[in-house]
Amino acid sequence: MSSASQPIPPPNDRRGSRSSRSSSNAGFPEPMNSSDIAASESSGFVVGGPPGSPSPLALRASTSPHRRKSRGARIPPDFHLLDYVNTPDSNLICLICHCPFDRPVRLACEHYFCRICLDHAWDAQPEGCKTCPTCRHKVDADEEPLPVPKILERMLDELLVRCPNSKLGCPWVEQRSNLENHVMLYCEYALVECPASDCRLPVSQKDCHKGCLHYSVSCDNCHTSLLRKDLEDHQRATCQFRFAPCPHCSAELLRLDLNAHINDVCPKATVQCPGSIVGCKYSAERETVAEHETACPMATMAPFFRDQQARIERNEARFEPLVRKVGILEDGLSNITNMLYPANANDSSFPVTNPLDSNNPDAFPPAPLMPTPDFRLPPASFPPAPHNNDQSHSQPPFDSQIHHLLTLHDSLRDELSRVASALSELEGRTSMMIMNENQRVKEEMLHTNAAINGMRVQLHWLMSATLHQRTSASASSSATRAGGSASASGSGRSSASGTPTTGGATMRGPAVGMPPLRRLSDSIRQDTKL
Amino acid sequence: MSTGAKKRILREYAECQNDPLPGVKINFDEQNMTKWEILMDGPDQSVYAGGHYKLEINFPNEYPFKPPVVSFKTKIYHPNVSNDDKGSMCLGLLRPEEWKPPNKVISVLHLIRNLLIEPNPDDAIELSIANDYKTNRAEFDKTAKDWVKRYAK
Ligand SMILES: [Zn+2]
Ligand SMILES: [Zn+2]
Ligand SMILES: [Zn+2]
Ligand SMILES: [Zn+2]
Ligand SMILES: [Zn+2]
Ligand SMILES: [Zn+2]
Ligand SMILES: [Zn+2]
Repeated sequence: MSSASQPIPPPNDRRGSRSSRSSSNAGFPEPMNSSDIAASESSGFVVGGPPGSPSPLALRASTSPHRRKSRGARIPPDFHLLDYVNTPDSNLICLICHCPFDRPVRLACEHYFCRICLDHAWDAQPEGCKTCPTCRHKVDADEEPLPVPKILERMLDELLVRCPNSKLGCPWVEQRSNLENHVMLYCEYALVECPASDCRLPVSQKDCHKGCLHYSVSCDNCHTSLLRKDLEDHQRATCQFRFAPCPHCSAELLRLDLNAHINDVCPKATVQCPGSIVGCKYSAERETVAEHETACPMATMAPFFRDQQARIERNEARFEPLVRKVGILEDGLSNITNMLYPANANDSSFPVTNPLDSNNPDAFPPAPLMPTPDFRLPPASFPPAPHNNDQSHSQPPFDSQIHHLLTLHDSLRDELSRVASALSELEGRTSMMIMNENQRVKEEMLHTNAAINGMRVQLHWLMSATLHQRTSASASSSATRAGGSASASGSGRSSASGTPTTGGATMRGPAVGMPPLRRLSDSIRQDTKL
Repeated sequence: MSTGAKKRILREYAECQNDPLPGVKINFDEQNMTKWEILMDGPDQSVYAGGHYKLEINFPNEYPFKPPVVSFKTKIYHPNVSNDDKGSMCLGLLRPEEWKPPNKVISVLHLIRNLLIEPNPDDAIELSIANDYKTNRAEFDKTAKDWVKRYAK
């Protein structure tokens, strides 16, 4: 059943296209010259072209992949297959198709043909030697075909035709010039593709909104099985049990119409007096009620009451959205207020929450003690409302809400500039402070550097002293090595284990110990440079 | 065949019915409207008087841009009708180069009828019959009447 929700083109869509089309068809078409024809031959017709464009042909040839797409599968009518109400004048008949001309053209020999028919006839003839199908007069391809007199086109436009879907039930009969419009846009009997996505069968436009009707049902009365879309036609025209007598008046009528008959027409059905909505209790057969109606005052009043009722309902329906709108606006306003004055968010008596309600005696209390008086509005913008009830409605606390909001805006702007200046002042102070601090730190660093340098000098001195000591010690040990190598190695080992703290430097000897020293001095030099 | 052409054939049939030629009957089948069956009586003033001729008119797909094809189903001794099982007739407006789209079937029927009344030996398809017709009219009439009795009763 989801197919039932297939969108039906909005009605104003159709209306729009009708008005535009009719305006383009209004008035007499201008004479068509041969260049028009040439243009139409080469480039195809333009949709909604100039008012003078020959309507049936332009519309037909513009056939519009675009329109066909948007309209489902509507096919433009073939003018050669039309059913004319009256036998057309023989002068309007094309000698090739034997139908009234469709987009007629003229040859220099004064023979007239449908554009299509002439093209078909010329298809068979070799290029460059086209002749008139009637008199074989040679045609000048540059000049011909010529346009036809306007009166001929108008006579053709005025021919009465039936809708091509008349066999499906369309009762439309109108001038031929309106046919394209009717078939492409309005005909309710035009076949379009079934709205169901999985169904490709054709269905009348008028049944399109009912969803797919291509399933079998059985007639309730004769139990014949048939497609749902044919059910109504069957019950109207072919079902053998389609007639039933009315239970009240025993008139024979179609079963389909029985309910409508009883509800609206049947003279014997029991109905209430139309005054019942005002309270008349009378109820009888329809005929009798009709007599009663002329005398019943309540029946006379009933239409007015019904009108009134309808009006009240309309107004109530209109009232509902208004209430909702006011609620939304009030919410929005209080949101704005809370945003503007967060400090007052919980202060329900703040004037902005309901500036119009000055009846409330608490609306403007004496200003409470606020820790941040700067964020309050200047007191002048809130003149105390008169507590006088008579004046309250004519004189709200502000000229208008806009005025109030403007005041708020101004004070906010002041506030903003104040904050901005405070901010810049603060920034200056802070940068000053940072500079001072920087200076101090720099000085301190210089001090530290000097101290380190002193220490380095001392260290150097100590190192060289130690080295000196070691060289003298090694000189004495080499003297003892001459005595016994075994004892020397033993003492060396013992000295190595005995002095673990200085061992690293002493074991490697001066050659290995020098680079760290030099590196140390390098770094010192760098430090002092800084 | 296009629906437009079918429509035209339908209209032409209606026209023939509205304005019937004497002694001509058309059997028209809506399911196969490109083939007309014609029953034509030999015109009283001709040698074919008393004969009943069955003809066929076939409409080509290109109709009305190509001529319809006429053939006699009943044998006839006539200089303009081929003396074979086709019985074809091809002259005047029935020639492809002579045919014009505005021509109508009813004029074809007129042409056939007129040819029965007065054969056209100068545009003959059966030269010997034409020769007979021109030089030995009595012999021609006799054979023709003989054929009417033999084939067209
Ligand atoms: Zn035509
Ligand atoms: Zn001509
Ligand atoms: Zn219609
Ligand atoms: Zn369907
Ligand atoms: Zn039924
Ligand atoms: Zn009734
Ligand atoms: Zn009453």
